[in-house]
Amino acid sequence: MTERMLDRIINAYFPAISKGGETLESILAKYPQYAGELRPRFEAALWLQQAKLVINPRSGYIISSRKYLEAQIESLRPISFWQRLFSRYSPQRWVFNITAPIIVFLLLALVLNSAVLTARLSIPGDPLYSTKLVIEDFQLALTFNQMDKTDLYIQRYRERALEFIELVMEGDYEYLPSAATRMETEIIASLYSLQDLSVNHQSFEQSLVVNLKETLTNEITLLNLLKRTSPASAWPGIVLAIQVTQSGLMVLR
Amino acid sequence: MPGRLDQDRELIKKAKRGDPHAFGDLYESHAPAIFRYLYAHLDSQMDAEDLTGEVFLKAWQSLPNYIERGVPFLAFLFRIARNALVDHYRQNNRQEPKTPDDMDGYKEEGILEPVEVVGNQLEHQQILRILNKLRPDYKSVLTLRFISELSPEETAQVMKRSVGAIRVLQHRALAALREEMNKSGR
Repeated sequence: MTERMLDRIINAYFPAISKGGETLESILAKYPQYAGELRPRFEAALWLQQAKLVINPRSGYIISSRKYLEAQIESLRPISFWQRLFSRYSPQRWVFNITAPIIVFLLLALVLNSAVLTARLSIPGDPLYSTKLVIEDFQLALTFNQMDKTDLYIQRYRERALEFIELVMEGDYEYLPSAATRMETEIIASLYSLQDLSVNHQSFEQSLVVNLKETLTNEITLLNLLKRTSPASAWPGIVLAIQVTQSGLMVLR
Repeated sequence: MPGRLDQDRELIKKAKRGDPHAFGDLYESHAPAIFRYLYAHLDSQMDAEDLTGEVFLKAWQSLPNYIERGVPFLAFLFRIARNALVDHYRQNNRQEPKTPDDMDGYKEEGILEPVEVVGNQLEHQQILRILNKLRPDYKSVLTLRFISELSPEETAQVMKRSVGAIRVLQHRALAALREEMNKSGR
């Protein structure tokens, strides 16, 4: 009980003594019955008050250390994946990183497209002719509809016939027999494809048969015309091509 | 002090959202008390400064887990400070002697004259000598109450005791301190 009372007196009057509003003696005079116990405690508390001044941080320390602490906190702050990613490169580097692959891709596409176009225009004996045949085979492999496939075989025959004419025009007669053989291969493939088509799509088959018939007839006329205008050295190849085309027409009839 | 508590609450909210300047404000208002508490237990001012920084850095790291459930931020800081002191004592089993380099550090600051620094150091040593003769709980209660200027309630929260127990402890600690002062001729 006395401890509580003394504590209450110390807590109540200590701030006043520290600020100089009261003196130790004036307080003790108010509580003479507790003076013996209050005095040493007040003196100890006042000594601690004085000690606080010595223990205070040096001036300027709090401000300077605050800056240091804030900098440390900034460095501890977790960085998100996107922040880390964006802080890694400068904006110029980002533009380069994005545009470089696009430019490379466009250049590759351009080169590839040019190669495909060149290949498509090639004739037997050209370096890219085998590429042209591969592209055609690839196109055929990707065509699953039987009708489209038959149409594609007929187109391939027309392409071979055009190549043949071009070879004659350019005077590359040594390639004519092999070109005629390729024409035959395409005619046979077209005929087989038409046969497969007749089972399922009879109406479409008729139109394609007419189409092939017209193509073969026109080619025979063209080849005969070509034979008349070409030198004798080209004739064996042209005759072979005419025979092949006529055989195809006969089968079709 | 409801004003300070409200201000702390607002700053803690901002600091929890990652605002280092809000935490800097908290540091500025509470660092002196923490420093005094630590320096009252340590021989070296530089150790006390380093440890004050450590306490606040730990507080920042623990801030996401800090929920004010009757424990004010200041009490939370003092708990960290007490643990930091324990760790410091563990790491330095014996008190390191003062080196001339320690004194050079103060000279470079250019704030206090060397004579003043030495005077302060001597006085600090004398204060420590008297405080170190007290029981650890007496030393803690007196440091928290009179040097760090915590209220009895805050002191109770830091020391994890009831307010009544703190009052009794303070009463006895003051008497013990006076006795030690008498022995030291004060």
